[in-house]
Amino acid sequence: MRVARAPVVCAAVALLVSANAFAATFTKTETFTKNLPLEIVDSVWIDNPVGNIEIEGGDSPGLVGKFSKTVTGDSDAALKEGMEQTAISFEGDRNVRLIRTILPRVANEHWTSVVSYTLRVPRTVHVKIAAKLAGRIRVANISGNVTVNTFAGGVVLDGVTGPSIVEITNGRVAYVYRQKPSANAQIQAVNADIDVITPPDSNFNWIADTLRGDILTNLPVRAEFLGNAFHGTVNAPGGPTISMQTLLGNIRILAAGGDARLLQSVRNIAVENPQHDSPMGSSLMMRPAKRIQLPISGGPFDFIASVASVDVGEVRGWARVQTAAGEVKLGVVYGDCNVTTGGGPLDLGDIMGTLNASTDAGDVLVRSARDGGRVSTAGGIIRVRYTAGPITLQSGGGDIIVSQAAGPVIAETRSGDINITADPLQRTQHLQAHTEQGNIALTVSPRFAADIDAIVVTSRPDANAIRSDFPGLTITRDVIGSKTRIHATGKLNGGGDKVELFAEEGDIRITNVATSPVTVMGPP
Amino acid sequence: MSECDFVREGMPLLLIEALDPAQRERTHQHIEHCAACGDQWSAYRETWDVLATLPEVEVPAGVKTRFLESIGQDVEPVPNRFAPARSRRYVSRWLAEAAAVVIVASGAFYAGHRTMPMTGNQTPATINTVSMAPYSIAESRVLPASEVSPNIEGRPNIENVSFTDTNPADPDIDLSFDITSHVTVTGRPTDKSMVHLVRYVLENENRVMPSRSRAIDVVRTLYSQPGNADPEIADALANVLRNDSHEGVRIKAVETLNRLPVSTSADTRQALIEALKGDPNPAVRIKAVEALANLARSGAQFDSATLETLRQKAVQNDENVYVRVKAAEALSNIHP
Repeated sequence: MRVARAPVVCAAVALLVSANAFAATFTKTETFTKNLPLEIVDSVWIDNPVGNIEIEGGDSPGLVGKFSKTVTGDSDAALKEGMEQTAISFEGDRNVRLIRTILPRVANEHWTSVVSYTLRVPRTVHVKIAAKLAGRIRVANISGNVTVNTFAGGVVLDGVTGPSIVEITNGRVAYVYRQKPSANAQIQAVNADIDVITPPDSNFNWIADTLRGDILTNLPVRAEFLGNAFHGTVNAPGGPTISMQTLLGNIRILAAGGDARLLQSVRNIAVENPQHDSPMGSSLMMRPAKRIQLPISGGPFDFIASVASVDVGEVRGWARVQTAAGEVKLGVVYGDCNVTTGGGPLDLGDIMGTLNASTDAGDVLVRSARDGGRVSTAGGIIRVRYTAGPITLQSGGGDIIVSQAAGPVIAETRSGDINITADPLQRTQHLQAHTEQGNIALTVSPRFAADIDAIVVTSRPDANAIRSDFPGLTITRDVIGSKTRIHATGKLNGGGDKVELFAEEGDIRITNVATSPVTVMGPP
Repeated sequence: MSECDFVREGMPLLLIEALDPAQRERTHQHIEHCAACGDQWSAYRETWDVLATLPEVEVPAGVKTRFLESIGQDVEPVPNRFAPARSRRYVSRWLAEAAAVVIVASGAFYAGHRTMPMTGNQTPATINTVSMAPYSIAESRVLPASEVSPNIEGRPNIENVSFTDTNPADPDIDLSFDITSHVTVTGRPTDKSMVHLVRYVLENENRVMPSRSRAIDVVRTLYSQPGNADPEIADALANVLRNDSHEGVRIKAVETLNRLPVSTSADTRQALIEALKGDPNPAVRIKAVEALANLARSGAQFDSATLETLRQKAVQNDENVYVRVKAAEALSNIHP
């Protein structure tokens, strides 16, 4: 049977065409040139939020500019509106030329515009560029001062011999020196790789600072780390200073015509040949940044890095981790565990040996500290699910929660609540909790025996109190200055190990686990 | 006289703020609970507002004399105890407005009663349908004895008891006391009254429960579910983040804000920025920058001031390295 396929095909084509028409965008480009008088020692300021900027120095006086305005809209009307509302303004005089793109303060969702500038200026002028989303900014053959400030994009300074400053957040920066550097250069970036290509016989001082990237060169460098930054001299001492900072990107200085395979990390050089003994905190930044994810470490795990992210499932031996910053996550550690970081959260699983964990900032979670130990954070919440040996917990500000304490606990926080639940099998144990601002909740079994010494110091004695499910505590109140001191002493179940609790501007609650309320939602 | 009649009689005086405090409180409480009286009160206030916009016209002396005589007052103006220093012109305006209120009240009373069957016997007005008023959580309240259940449940702690008789002319007495009662409010997390209550709990430091850290834990569990998200909770947490002196509480507030699906309001974002800029606790700053990084990843648009704050934080040499790295990571996800 013959099927009349022509109408079906026509319908399909019509549908496709209409769909394309529906989804279509309209684009229009308008290009023009403009000549402006400009003296050889004058300045050019460019402010173009979105689009490429290319400035080339030459020997002719005056400014020759070619401007290209491209608008994309979702309709003819939007296109027309975009063309009208994207304006290029020429301001200033023959001493200072300001050329800028003027856009509405609030972006229009129906159209976008990109403006490209291509300028030829006298090579001696000073250039200042401000952009936001630059595709590429290239400044070439300029001997005056050059300043570039953009949020994102690629910046190329090619044959710029005058002093230069580049500030960029995201993107890439490339300096190409056609002759030996003769003026200072400063590059400050956040997430940008910085590449500098320079003649091999250049002499300059080099300051490089990156938190997570690496610093590489194939030039002869004498270097040392001062704080977080690398300070070095390339070839002979003297010459200008090239200063580079990028937080997450890499920094590379390459000799023009040199072998790129000879690039080596100055961090490694510094670690292998330390100039002087430096404290561990600062020398950590010499180490390369690393990200390590390992299911099992067959033996001891020893790891040192600057900015690092560590995630190891199981360590069949002892573990030692030292980083300047970063998250550390260890699953099971069969031996002792020492973790130190300059900042970042710690997530520690089942620690069979003694635990020593410290971070300068961030939360600490310990699932099990079987042999106890010491945990500290300069600011953050400490959560210990289970501890069997004596453990000391210190927070510079944040809560401390021990879900099951089968060993002595000392907990101190500058500002935060302390919640300790004693193991129900413990008949007695030494507990000590101290908060300078916050509440203390101690939950013990009905059989728990202790000598209680609990103190609340408060400026609101009507609100703060010591409450106990156990009878027999003697409570006294004294006024000390503007505060009231509430002191509870007594023996639980005939007395036992000492339990010392101190809370300022908070409550103390001693709860019998048998009578504690059932909680619907547990702590996270 | 029913409670409604009593309240309506007092409305003109309430309007000119001439009721004594106890009566004023009682009247307000009744208006809050009684829909019919609430409507009446709204009408009074509208009329009063309209009167305030009318041009001042001097009352002709003859009219004033006849009016005052008709209500049994001396012709000589009575000194106004509410505004003794005010001018004579103001007194006459006050009298004119009061007269207008009386006229309006009389008109409203007449309009309200003219459809009633005229009978020889006076029968008290009855309200057939009374809607259940919402329970009001108030710092103080005045209740007629008829609205208090005769059964006192449990043994509530009653203190600061006093007996007063504000109006010796009527047989009523007033019994005032402080009571500590335990209230359980049941409802969905999304009920507006529940949201208001949770907000109050969050924002009132140490007055409402021994551990606000615990309260924030519960709020996080409840309101991080997309269906329960409420911007008012995010605003309350932002206030906690800004104002609470307890660092543990601030850490939990910012942690919870980071998990709420509605943390993108300008106020919340501003609180995060302020925390990142100046909170002394590094854990708060870490969580604030992580929250901003999450916003950046979700495509939120940041203004230039926020971008500059993140950038400054990233390059701040004396800041914790982890905070700097996180600020840089947040910036890497932003596409202005």
